[in-house]
Amino acid sequence: MAKGVYTTRSKELVRRETASAYMFLLPSLVFFIGFVIIPMIICIYTSFFDSTMGKDAKDVFIGFGNYIELFQDGIFLKALKNTFVIVIVSVPVVCIFSLWVSSVIYNLNDKVLSVFRCIFYLPVVTGSVAVTVVWKWMYNNYYGIFNYIGKGTGILKTNINWLGDERFALACIILILLTTSVGQPIVLYVSALGNVDNSLVEAAQVDGANELQLFWKIKWPQIMPTTLYILVITTINSFQCFALIQLLTSGGPNHSTDTVMYYIYYMAFKMFRYGYGNAMGVVLAIFIAVLSAIQFRVAKER
Amino acid sequence: MKKLLLTGLTLTAAGMLAACGGGKAADQTSAAADSKADTKQEGASEAAKDAAEVSLWTYPVGKWGDSATVDGIIKKFNEKYPNIKVTVEYLDYQNGDDQINTAIEGKQAPDIVLEGPERLVANWGAKGLMVDLKDMFEKDAASDIYDPVKAACKSPTGEFYEYPAFMVAHCMAINKTMFEKADALKYLDLDTHTWTTDNFLKAVQAVYDSGQQNVGAIYCVSQGGDQGTRALVNNLYSGTFTDKDHTKYTVDSEENKKALQAIVDQAGLNFDPSIAGGDEITLFRNGTLAMSLCWNASQQTNSDNGPAGKTNAGDEIIPMLFPSDDGVTELCGGIWGYGIFDNGDAGKIEAAKTFIDFVCNDETQVKESVKASGFFPVRPSVTGVYEGTETADAMKLFEEKFMPSMGDYYQVTKGWTTARTEWWNMLQRIGAGGDVATEVATFTTNANAAAAQ
Repeated sequence: MAKGVYTTRSKELVRRETASAYMFLLPSLVFFIGFVIIPMIICIYTSFFDSTMGKDAKDVFIGFGNYIELFQDGIFLKALKNTFVIVIVSVPVVCIFSLWVSSVIYNLNDKVLSVFRCIFYLPVVTGSVAVTVVWKWMYNNYYGIFNYIGKGTGILKTNINWLGDERFALACIILILLTTSVGQPIVLYVSALGNVDNSLVEAAQVDGANELQLFWKIKWPQIMPTTLYILVITTINSFQCFALIQLLTSGGPNHSTDTVMYYIYYMAFKMFRYGYGNAMGVVLAIFIAVLSAIQFRVAKER
Repeated sequence: MKKLLLTGLTLTAAGMLAACGGGKAADQTSAAADSKADTKQEGASEAAKDAAEVSLWTYPVGKWGDSATVDGIIKKFNEKYPNIKVTVEYLDYQNGDDQINTAIEGKQAPDIVLEGPERLVANWGAKGLMVDLKDMFEKDAASDIYDPVKAACKSPTGEFYEYPAFMVAHCMAINKTMFEKADALKYLDLDTHTWTTDNFLKAVQAVYDSGQQNVGAIYCVSQGGDQGTRALVNNLYSGTFTDKDHTKYTVDSEENKKALQAIVDQAGLNFDPSIAGGDEITLFRNGTLAMSLCWNASQQTNSDNGPAGKTNAGDEIIPMLFPSDDGVTELCGGIWGYGIFDNGDAGKIEAAKTFIDFVCNDETQVKESVKASGFFPVRPSVTGVYEGTETADAMKLFEEKFMPSMGDYYQVTKGWTTARTEWWNMLQRIGAGGDVATEVATFTTNANAAAAQ
């Protein structure tokens, strides 16, 4: 009898606590559904329509028409290629550079470590517009500091129009992206390396492991979850490169810096082709999801 | 405490859910208002003047982008119409279109917007989003608005989607000191502020030969200030951007091809896909460039960085008409005015018209409204706007020498948004070595495809 009362009370307690937990979750759930799930569904739905502002026959169902068109659209394909170039270059560089910097600074004394953290994190917390304006000045064709130094040192004979030349524009964008992307990974790696189990390191040292073996066999497996997180966020951020393009090149010259995100914006908000823009959004989301899944899979196997 | 917390969370969630559903409710309200709008129209006038709140979104047209100036104008309006409250949103040309388009999609479009026919008539008006202002044009005050201005405010189907307030003719400018140093002033007619195409090319060559590698820039990173590059190309050999009826784009004419090729071949004129019109002005003012293609009266009288009419280094700036082979320059015009978004509320529409009528037609206000823009009135009966001001002489010069050369207002041609984008993309390709004939053909095909839609 007494046991039955306890069971009932226990169930009641669990029910209440579960209800409370859901109530606590509710605000963020409502936001998540309202601002992520519903727009996502609308995006997929609209991508099957010719939804263009100002067209007489608005929202005509065209099935996969937008998807077929975008894979025949030379500018989209160029934007896709540029986006992949940005991802392929920036993700490994960000990860390797931030791991290297973190390995060098993580066991320095607290004050010095704080200074380095601050230096590398500063571009992350500085407004992207401010950062971009400074870079725009540095790249300036007429009196930018890169041309000034290049000519001063004799490396350049004439000024280079860094952002106005197809050969350099995308590389210039990637360089800015790198400087604004390494801050967070460095902070994360410093923290992860600081949390590596020291007893394992000491045991390996006693067994005669060299520095490379220490890192590869002991530290690397322990910081793998952090690496995976950094890989995923850097990949997503690189895929979503937009503000730099919008502020610096508008996708030019001759579409050499167009990215999928910028082209989505251009199609949706300049040409008012919402259906087409949404179709590109869906394709971009699929690419990001597939790449993230591969990264998870590879990291899990390691 | 726990109950209190839960109650709070429940209320928060309920509030958010209600907010999510608000859009539909608003739609229904709007739809209901739509159906009643016509019937209410007649009696709305008085009601509007009784009490109404209208929103004004303004692009930075001179000091119409400056809150102190606009607040002053609204204060004067409220002295006459105390029951109409006007709230203002200031837009910029970088993001303004996006803000308005997003607002339109969210059914939150402003009541009044200050801009030109390319947006009010050819874009939002053509999409059926604007109120026909025909009744305002039937008033006495509108009777002497210049005919070309009236024509620009009118849609091909006869609706007026803009009530014009001020206008200007865009021109170019040179750094007198640099031209003097290069002995190139002899190629300019400083009395009429004109030059022929041959003399223009000779002058550029002379300035280039004097050591100034960057004489002028064909800026093309985006559409900002593109009226300058269009005017240069069209005037050099008397080409046109569209046909007279504004039904198709004519950039692939022999005259335009010849002009573009002349620019490509001319040393000192450099295609620059990293800057827009605003950047070019900065480079001109700081002495990097010897000429600007993105000039007008407002730039000439701007004293933000130093004395008006001077570069940052103190060199004299001479405004010039664009060079032409036949002596007839057609300047690209800017006509700014007010449009009203059809938000389905007859009271607000009437209140918006009252505001527009006040700033454009009220005898005590109209000069101040024009002066705030830094441009010129759209009616000959409004005179002496800048009398007694520091800029009076410069404005008189522009009024006499430049405004009469205002050309065809072709920016209302269908497909204009696409054509503008195609233009700077075309310049980028030509600047990168693309064949002029091929690139103008691509431009014309794409722009005309948009015009035909």
